[in-house]
Amino acid sequence: MSPTAPIFHFNQERSMLVEQTIERVCSHTRDSLHALNDAAYWETRRLEPSKKKRSQAELAEWRSLSRSLSRMSEPERRERLRALVATYVNDIAGNFDPRVYSLTTRILPALVTGLLAPGSLPKKLRHPLELLELEALADKVIVEGDTERLKGLAKQGTLVFVPTHSSNMDSLVFGFALELSGLPPATYGAGKNLFTNPVLSFFMQNLGAYKVDRRLRFELYKDCLKSYSCVLLERGYHSLFFPGGTRARSGAVESKLKLGLAGTGIESYVRSLKSGTERKVFFVPATINYLITLEAETLIADYLSEAGKARYIIEDDESSRLSRVIAFARKIFTMRGAVVVRFGTPLDPFGNAVDSDGHSLDARGRTVETSSFVRNVAGEVSVDADRDAQYTRELAQRLVVAYKKNTVVMATNLVAASCFEALRQQAPGADLFTLLRLRDHKLSRDDLARRVLERRDALRLLEKNGEVVLAAQLRETSGGDIVAQAMSAFAGYHTAPVIEAQGDGIVLRDPKLLLYYQNRLIPHGLAFDPDARPRKLEKTGRAVA
Amino acid sequence: MTPTSIGVLGGGPWGLALARAASRGPSVTWLHSRRQQDADVPGVRLTRDLAELANCRLLLVAVPSNLARSVARELGDHLDGSHIVVHGIRGLSGPELSTVSQIFREETPVRRLGALGGPVQADELAAGRPSAMVVASEFAEVIAAVCDALQSDRLQLESSRDLRGLEWASALVGCLSIGIGFAQARGDVSPGLLAALISRAVDEAATIVTAAGADENTFYGLGGYGDLLASMALTDRPEVVLGRALATGAKLEDARKQARLRVEAIDLVPRILAFAKAHEVRRPIFDAIGAILDGSSEPSVIVRALFRG
Repeated sequence: MSPTAPIFHFNQERSMLVEQTIERVCSHTRDSLHALNDAAYWETRRLEPSKKKRSQAELAEWRSLSRSLSRMSEPERRERLRALVATYVNDIAGNFDPRVYSLTTRILPALVTGLLAPGSLPKKLRHPLELLELEALADKVIVEGDTERLKGLAKQGTLVFVPTHSSNMDSLVFGFALELSGLPPATYGAGKNLFTNPVLSFFMQNLGAYKVDRRLRFELYKDCLKSYSCVLLERGYHSLFFPGGTRARSGAVESKLKLGLAGTGIESYVRSLKSGTERKVFFVPATINYLITLEAETLIADYLSEAGKARYIIEDDESSRLSRVIAFARKIFTMRGAVVVRFGTPLDPFGNAVDSDGHSLDARGRTVETSSFVRNVAGEVSVDADRDAQYTRELAQRLVVAYKKNTVVMATNLVAASCFEALRQQAPGADLFTLLRLRDHKLSRDDLARRVLERRDALRLLEKNGEVVLAAQLRETSGGDIVAQAMSAFAGYHTAPVIEAQGDGIVLRDPKLLLYYQNRLIPHGLAFDPDARPRKLEKTGRAVA
Repeated sequence: MTPTSIGVLGGGPWGLALARAASRGPSVTWLHSRRQQDADVPGVRLTRDLAELANCRLLLVAVPSNLARSVARELGDHLDGSHIVVHGIRGLSGPELSTVSQIFREETPVRRLGALGGPVQADELAAGRPSAMVVASEFAEVIAAVCDALQSDRLQLESSRDLRGLEWASALVGCLSIGIGFAQARGDVSPGLLAALISRAVDEAATIVTAAGADENTFYGLGGYGDLLASMALTDRPEVVLGRALATGAKLEDARKQARLRVEAIDLVPRILAFAKAHEVRRPIFDAIGAILDGSSEPSVIVRALFRG
């Protein structure tokens, strides 16, 4: 694509963007004493348990700040605040190198292999023929959805891509999907932990990623992050957010979203209106669907240990293990349609659908003036945090619906759901953990094929109503073939076999991974839902007359 | 017409009362009514043109519940995202039990929606006698606009962010009021038993409200319990009249006539029962009200069933 998107001029603009963000955060912060105290409190709490020298030095600094805060004059505090904000914003702001971008898009297939494997990349670069071979990734990643409409909207406003999140490969795969479909690149916030890998870090930095340090919990830092993201949107930088906040542990598409950063969509829109040049913001829901997921084993284990929240940042999963990444990449390259990225209908920041001209539409399809949603009773464009938070919640509801509708069902999901159903029938009424201990249950190929077909037909009905999408390979084929597709996808990547052929039957080896892959169908009511609580609305303890 | 003027839609007793209440404040109040008004409402300007009414940014809607969707659709052609629509309509529509605010969400571009509820009666409101009302919205801005428009030293407004809860509470109170009329008219229901029935009914309704995805506390507040208590004293509330008539052996058609105004709850009770059943909510009181309406049991049998809870 032609480099007209603002991100191609990022480096010229970087200092201006950073300066504007610092300015905004400092003027936002009304109570400097509170902001600094809050930061000192959270940072002290975070750093105290650490034995590292650097952390200890930082801790000492925070403690001394904390002690001297009350004695400081307001201008002194403001100065400290500004210095702190400047440090954070500079840390957050990334780079974008058009040369790296152009190189990357040409060699991205190789990059996906090499990216997380610093050792193998130089070798690959020395053997361009191998690279050429790998360019076949184009038919491994399939892009669906109305990309022509999105291209049109990209010229009229700022696109905010909000895909589902299940793997650390997501931002790379999504970036590649944008390139494949001729859409402009998008900037995105990536966890700082991902920047520790030198190669990944190099590319992420140069592709316009900015750093999000999830360890920093205080308001001032969050404000820096939000303001930076808002400034980028106002300047027309197409952006990518994962509204799930973190990779979905269970394997299901997200049903609850955190829209902290996406909430800046309304703010940037209102600011553009106030400055007299309306710049619309379009949210583009999307699903990223993998035949197999790089981190499936760690994610489902984490989900099952109910430590999902505690281990918000997983440092030691498959994406940090070289051999796993290489195995995953190899696998992906041998499978057609291994990843499907599907774009949904674009929405305005208030959750209304938009047409190809960027006009907001109400539920009956009437065109509505977009700015009317941010006008107060007096008819003036206004910033209203409470109102915008509610709009953002409503947007989140719309995204959840879009995720469900645009979920692309893969052979692995379909087969896993069918296997899990058989497992449950084997042990009626058993709880989840009992089911997971049922190893090596065997069922006949015919039985499994029949179950798969039944489910496929149920999905077809849903697909007719626009409630889900079937992967192309599942449409006109036999149950046995779908089982074979899933088996060949599982084989050779996961450390232990998920299901295995044995004589005329199929043995279910790993119920945990089956659970992971079947969970994708929970929203459609076609998979066992481990989180479904038995309905118990009856009040207890009431005396009956 | 200033942008902050208030528009009221609906020329029935509720609409007129809301227009009167709004006209006591500083804003200009407009009333849209299809009926020929007998007399001018002091301080209120009349219009028959929805486009003209849409010049007001705050709209209070008080039309019969069975007209809510068609009115919303027609009104929707004149509105945009800057309008605030607050309704005072008791009812849940269709088998899916859509709230009136959901209907407005489906039929208009308006997003800032709210509802009115609570024990206040149309005549009290119109006459300016002291009373209390609830306004609920997910938007603080909507609550503020309604308070500015209606709050006075004679009308106390409580606010709630649980819009869905208030809409469900209002509808359920309509159903339960039939039971109150019924029980009051029966010679074999003592005041003590009546009090017990009401307390249990509130509990049951709160559980249904929870199953509908709203906050049970909303039913324990002014929009549920408060509204229901008013039914005890309001002998001319249509639902109460209907219940009383049924208790004395009248057929449903006759009871309807005695109630004079349309009683939404007659059609609603079976749908609530289906909903409660699907959500596995225990519902002896609602079952009894269902039996009162369809005449499937003798009144004395129903009283015994109520007594057993």
